[in-house]
Amino acid sequence: MPVIVVNGVGIELDEDGFIIDPDLWNADVANAFAASEGISQLTEDHWKVINYLRDYFKQYHIAPMIRKLCEETGCSLQYIYELFPSGPAKGACKIAGLPKPTGCV
Amino acid sequence: MPEYKGMVQPVRATDDEMRKIHIEPVPDEQKPEKALEFLDQIRKKFRSFVMAMESCTKCGQCAENCHTYLGTRDPNNIPTNRAELIRKIYKRYFTLEGRWFGKLVGAEDINLDVIEQWYSYFYQCSQCRRCAHVCPFGIDTCEVTFIGRQLLHWLGITPKLHASVGAAMEKVGNHTGLPKPGIVDTLEFMSEEIMDEFGVEVEFPVDKPESDIMYIPSSADFLLNPYTLMGAGMFFTYIGANWTIPSTVTEAGNFGLLFDQYYTQRGNVMRLLNAAQELGIKKIVWGECGHGWRAAKMYIPSLADRPVRWPITHIHDEIADMIRKNELKLDPNKNSNPVTLHDPCNYVRACGLNENMRTIIRKVTVDFREMSPNGENNFCCGGGSAILFDDPEMYQRRILLSSKKAEQVRATGVGKDGNGILCAPCSICKAQLYPMVEEHELGVEVKGLVDLVGKALVWK
Amino acid sequence: MKLLIGQILPYITVTLFTLGILYRLGRWAGARIIHNITLSPWLDTNGQVAVRIGSEAFLFRNLFKFDIGLWAGAFLMHFALLNILGGHIVGFGLLGEQFALIPGLGISPELSKEMSDLLGTVFGILLFVALLYLLYRRVAMEKVKLVTKTSDNLWLIYLLVLVGVGNIMRLFHPFHVEYELVRDYIVALALFQPVVNMELLNNGFFLVHYLLVQILLIVFPFSKLMHLFGMFAERWIVNRVYKDPAPGLPNVDVAAARKAGLGLPSGDAVEGGM
Repeated sequence: MPVIVVNGVGIELDEDGFIIDPDLWNADVANAFAASEGISQLTEDHWKVINYLRDYFKQYHIAPMIRKLCEETGCSLQYIYELFPSGPAKGACKIAGLPKPTGCV
Repeated sequence: MPEYKGMVQPVRATDDEMRKIHIEPVPDEQKPEKALEFLDQIRKKFRSFVMAMESCTKCGQCAENCHTYLGTRDPNNIPTNRAELIRKIYKRYFTLEGRWFGKLVGAEDINLDVIEQWYSYFYQCSQCRRCAHVCPFGIDTCEVTFIGRQLLHWLGITPKLHASVGAAMEKVGNHTGLPKPGIVDTLEFMSEEIMDEFGVEVEFPVDKPESDIMYIPSSADFLLNPYTLMGAGMFFTYIGANWTIPSTVTEAGNFGLLFDQYYTQRGNVMRLLNAAQELGIKKIVWGECGHGWRAAKMYIPSLADRPVRWPITHIHDEIADMIRKNELKLDPNKNSNPVTLHDPCNYVRACGLNENMRTIIRKVTVDFREMSPNGENNFCCGGGSAILFDDPEMYQRRILLSSKKAEQVRATGVGKDGNGILCAPCSICKAQLYPMVEEHELGVEVKGLVDLVGKALVWK
Repeated sequence: MKLLIGQILPYITVTLFTLGILYRLGRWAGARIIHNITLSPWLDTNGQVAVRIGSEAFLFRNLFKFDIGLWAGAFLMHFALLNILGGHIVGFGLLGEQFALIPGLGISPELSKEMSDLLGTVFGILLFVALLYLLYRRVAMEKVKLVTKTSDNLWLIYLLVLVGVGNIMRLFHPFHVEYELVRDYIVALALFQPVVNMELLNNGFFLVHYLLVQILLIVFPFSKLMHLFGMFAERWIVNRVYKDPAPGLPNVDVAAARKAGLGLPSGDAVEGGM
């Protein structure tokens, strides 16, 4: 099982690099994920997206629809791809510590 | 690493994940013996399987008709050879021919490598049934890989994707793990979107008692294909239907068909019938999902544990029927881009939706171009039976498996100016094609069919 | 040898052939059609099902649609084989005079015999050529080679030898077999009379041909040749009548809904004033 080490603590990930237990997530984990995704610095806009995802996930136990994410954060899909080169699901959701969605998605 | 002795394999569910879907994994050293035991049980039940094992003459016709073989050129991906992976064991242990002549007729002893071969190749088969369609005898390799996957599941070998979908379905009633508050929030958001974009008031009633119609959407429509769900909402509003979406089954798919027909598929059927009973509905209408529609239409009658009191139709059946009766006012100019239709395999070779899809698409688009071959001769998108794995090795395989489809789409010329639409009215097709049209640079946008209907409705 | 091949083996052959086929059919019947896996587009009537299965079985419809080369080889082979089998039964049974029995054609028994000879010769050669072509496909064409097992090639070679010996008897006069001899032999066998001393069994080529046929019939029920029956059993699973449930939604009146302006924002509906 792959592991990401943050502040000396190993956090378990699945095969695609998503966190297994979302409760273990914190800002340092986000930074570590970002680095592994090739994002050098998490900006304010990054955090706007991440925080929205976290809040939505806390409330609904699921990632929001991509359209909704764009609308609520005011970021176009293209801008989200600029912020998170691997895209909203594989990039943003991973950094925000959401588990990988299943099914036909 | 998802590879075994040079064979690609999907990431598999861990032992704990298997236990969540009620399977105790068999230890490796016992797997060959157990596999034989399971095979012996199941072969005596399914004639479709027995005939596939016992009547192939190896004429080779299926080879060039399988998109998986065309894309990978791996001899084990020729349908009859794929079936041979299990046939060689079947022959060796369950036929006189194999016991007497062994290798001469291709019979082989079972071992762990054979089981690993099953896992690799049965999950490269899309279960699209094109081989059954072209076979001179009608031998259905899909029946072989269904049973192969069932055996693997009983041994404790199931892809993580399928296992987690099975677990999510049991827990919340859909594959994506969407709980009721999330469902309601998403649907409210869709109502707002419809208002903004189309200027129409559409409500999505959830769990509304005494509804006439229970609509079963694909859960992927909540996350990935919003226009399909929005289109359905607009359609039901337009015709003034008393409809509802059951929060306990927001899932048109039934992965049980694809890896565990005995327990998972049956369980999902019971869940659906319970929801219908509780809501007091009169008819069930199915959303856009290929394998799920096959599972519902063709398998509920043989899997249900009680008389099924509700007729079940597909939303395309209903829309086409209303078009034929001239009840819908549609403006095809609202979908003016060039469009081609990818026929979902389960719709055309297992569910007879061929004509209805065309009745609809011709009425809601202006520039519709058939791809070749089409209808029941169509090739699979390469993702069929949910082989939508996205670890790097399997993702590369998906690109190969979709190469035939890419060639077909390119030949229609709809993406020439980069504004084409590839209508693929099935959630697996959509999930496969969203990234694949980019990988193959096809210049098309992937959409459902109900998406186009919703857009074309004329409200005044 | 004559005793074994000509007198004893035939009874064993017939017994094993019959029991073997019953065993295989019983085995298939024991498993059931659990789910409805018929292929769409649907067939609406049993008549259509019969036409469909018939055209697959007798015209090889799918081969014709998807691989014309394979169709040509397979169809020719099976068609010639069918005629030869029929010729064996009718020709020996009626001593080649079968065509004279068709009323209204005025064919003499002599002419009928010559026609029978000619047809047998032609189909014998056709069968041999078609088998050669099928073997060629198995060894030379990549896609067929990849699916071929040793036994598939051996079967074709076996049939080529069997047919080849038959053709020798037909084409080369010294080895020719008179129809009467065969008929008398079969009649004697059927009446459980001794046949060892009959003239027919002195023909070496006949003995070889006859032995090969008997081995084939013994192995038949346990081999791929059972596809003769398997094809019908399989087709009966995937080609059957299916009727779609009627479309139509309960309590839906589209005209009324549109008149009421459902979906139109309340202000709008009034403005619209339908």
